[in-house]
Amino acid sequence: MDEKAQKTIAGVLDKRMNRQLLYYLDICTRCSICKDACHQYVTTGDVLYLPAYRAEIIRRVYKKYFTRSGKFYPALSEGSEVDEKLLDELYKTTYACTGCRRCMYYCPFSIDTTWFMAVAKAMLITAGRGSQILAELAGAAVIKGESIDLFKDIIIEMLKDTEKELQERVGNPKANIPIDKKGADLLYVALAGTHTILPAAVIFHQAKANWTLSMFEAANYGYFLGDVKQAVAIAKRIIDEARSLEVKEIVITECGHAYRVMQFLYEAWAKEKLPFKIRGIVELMAEYIKQGKINLTQDKIKEPLTYHDPCQVGRNAGFYEEPRYIINQVAADFREMTPNREKNWCCGGGGGLVAQPDLDDFRIKTGEIKVEQIKKTGARIVVSPCENCRLQLDSLNEKYNMGIQITSIMDLVANAITI
Amino acid sequence: MDWFSYLVAGILVYVAVAVFLFGTAFRIYQWFRVTRSSVKLGLFPRPKSTLGRGFKLVKDSFFYPQVREVDAAMWIFVLLLHLGGIGAFVGHLRLFNEFTLIANALGDEGMAQFAMWTGGTVGIVLMVSVTYLILRRFKSPYKDLAIPEDYLLLILVLVILLLGNHLRFFGDIHVAEYREYIHSLLAFSPAFPEAIAESSTKWVLVSHVLTANLLFIYFPFSKLIHAVGTFAGNLIRSEV
Ligand code: HEM
Ligand code: SF4
Ligand code: SF4
Repeated sequence: MDEKAQKTIAGVLDKRMNRQLLYYLDICTRCSICKDACHQYVTTGDVLYLPAYRAEIIRRVYKKYFTRSGKFYPALSEGSEVDEKLLDELYKTTYACTGCRRCMYYCPFSIDTTWFMAVAKAMLITAGRGSQILAELAGAAVIKGESIDLFKDIIIEMLKDTEKELQERVGNPKANIPIDKKGADLLYVALAGTHTILPAAVIFHQAKANWTLSMFEAANYGYFLGDVKQAVAIAKRIIDEARSLEVKEIVITECGHAYRVMQFLYEAWAKEKLPFKIRGIVELMAEYIKQGKINLTQDKIKEPLTYHDPCQVGRNAGFYEEPRYIINQVAADFREMTPNREKNWCCGGGGGLVAQPDLDDFRIKTGEIKVEQIKKTGARIVVSPCENCRLQLDSLNEKYNMGIQITSIMDLVANAITI
Repeated sequence: MDWFSYLVAGILVYVAVAVFLFGTAFRIYQWFRVTRSSVKLGLFPRPKSTLGRGFKLVKDSFFYPQVREVDAAMWIFVLLLHLGGIGAFVGHLRLFNEFTLIANALGDEGMAQFAMWTGGTVGIVLMVSVTYLILRRFKSPYKDLAIPEDYLLLILVLVILLLGNHLRFFGDIHVAEYREYIHSLLAFSPAFPEAIAESSTKWVLVSHVLTANLLFIYFPFSKLIHAVGTFAGNLIRSEV
């Protein structure tokens, strides 16, 4: 690699520098407390997956190119050049990180490893080494945004069958799934496929909500890829749709990272203030139940059931009680995993891992802790309000022969709803 | 004072204090020079009130309770190291001014006993803690993550402690003489009183001061800056 390329890649660190990152670069004592927080390190024992080591790769580049200590006493602080080997390591460790931020919870200085991973991804993309598959998925989503008129008819066609199912479920031939409805109160953003559309439609219908379905999926591969421009473009499709329909709020389906992008990242990235609220569907469902807008059967599920706190719903967004409240309305034998809430272990599927086939084995291996946690509860049903978690739990269920059923909260509610 | 002592226990002390203060201020300035990202990185649950946030900041920064859950031994020794550090700092203040309240209550003999027990305990506890941390650094995965700076700092601290403990347990110099030396430093005319100048303990003292100086000089430019940065990091933890 020539010096110019090295400087360009290292330069990304300078361009993306911010005060939080600088604190983190300066204060880590390499105490390794975070090692026991990361499911990937604990299950593989490979130092490459130790959170502080992931950050240390970036720190070495920082020391080499941007600090005096790197220049005056490089031997002491171990700066290192940007070379193929460094980029290889960086790729492996960066695209493996699920972004669960459990390491941040345990770090005595609250260092957020994912803040390093974001810069690492930007450096890899500059080096032409971003994840290929994530780039393709992100690219496709951006294209859909640019040519939505072509997609609109396909979407309407696809929804016809779902609408029929809805009408049967609620026993009302007029029940519909509105799209592109101006003046709706809420814009509901679902996932690809119809499995997150039908239960939501049942719930919205029963609650008499004035809603409309977004033509875009919630998933944001630009975020997983680490390309801020693309991530913004993908989220902006939905923001623009909400603006033109003049809705009061955007409601994101049970998808952890999509909520994180919309609620915590978009405004900072796009440097614009949103004129509407962002909410998660779980919060809304809890509200409907509390306000009596929907009624649930008293015939509760008797099988033992447990709840997996998705990192992006719990630790990183603060919804601990809403899901539990709903579950307790529909299930008679609810069992907590240990640990749970802010200390819950990552399932191993976040961060776009479920979309990267080359990480399949790794993902199954690093899901071991979750498997044990679930087994200890003796539950037959596992509930989790995040698509990535559910896909990972499905894989774990299959590979470890767990014989469990995995479900979303929406499905629980839609099945228990009294018509 | 001989020329070497004058240089190390005189001039270098001023240099070290200046580098420590200006260096630390400079590092803080470097942080504030960079734009803050407006992304909120806080974790949940987070305290709602400012008071709650302040309380959590103090708790997290001084006691890091979550560390206990994952590595109890590490938690104890790191806590002892830092509380011991504060203890040692307070103890050294006696070299500036007698703690008259305690001294009056205990009498001269009682005060000497008290200082021996408290100071002695802190010295030993610190030595044990640092030894634990050094040994830990030689094991995987800690050693795979470590860089030379990590060993250098711990060894430097250990040497300071060994020399300090030597002064306490084996030295023949007493607090009054040390106080005279400190006061000479404060008056910008460093000098050893006769009792120090003529004792062989002088070289232990000079080495203790030398290594402590090095630690202070290195402080702002090493990971020791975590002493300041921890408050920033832990504040981000609960930002809304
Ligand atoms: C107040 C919050 C602080 C926290 C949470 C904190 C935490 C830590 C941790 C986790 C280590 C790692 C030990 C290891 O792995 O070797 C450490 C080391 C150390 N800290 Fe602190 N610290 C704090 C403040 C301070 C202060 C105020 C000082 C001194 C002025 C200090 C001096 C040291 C020293 C000398 C070491 C050992 C050397 C080393 O490991 O590099 N710390 N600290
Ligand atoms: S716990 Fe925090 S300070 Fe310790 S090694 Fe990990 S990131 Fe660094
Ligand atoms: S965010 Fe999660 S997966 Fe990534 S390093 Fe931290 S603990 Fe490991």
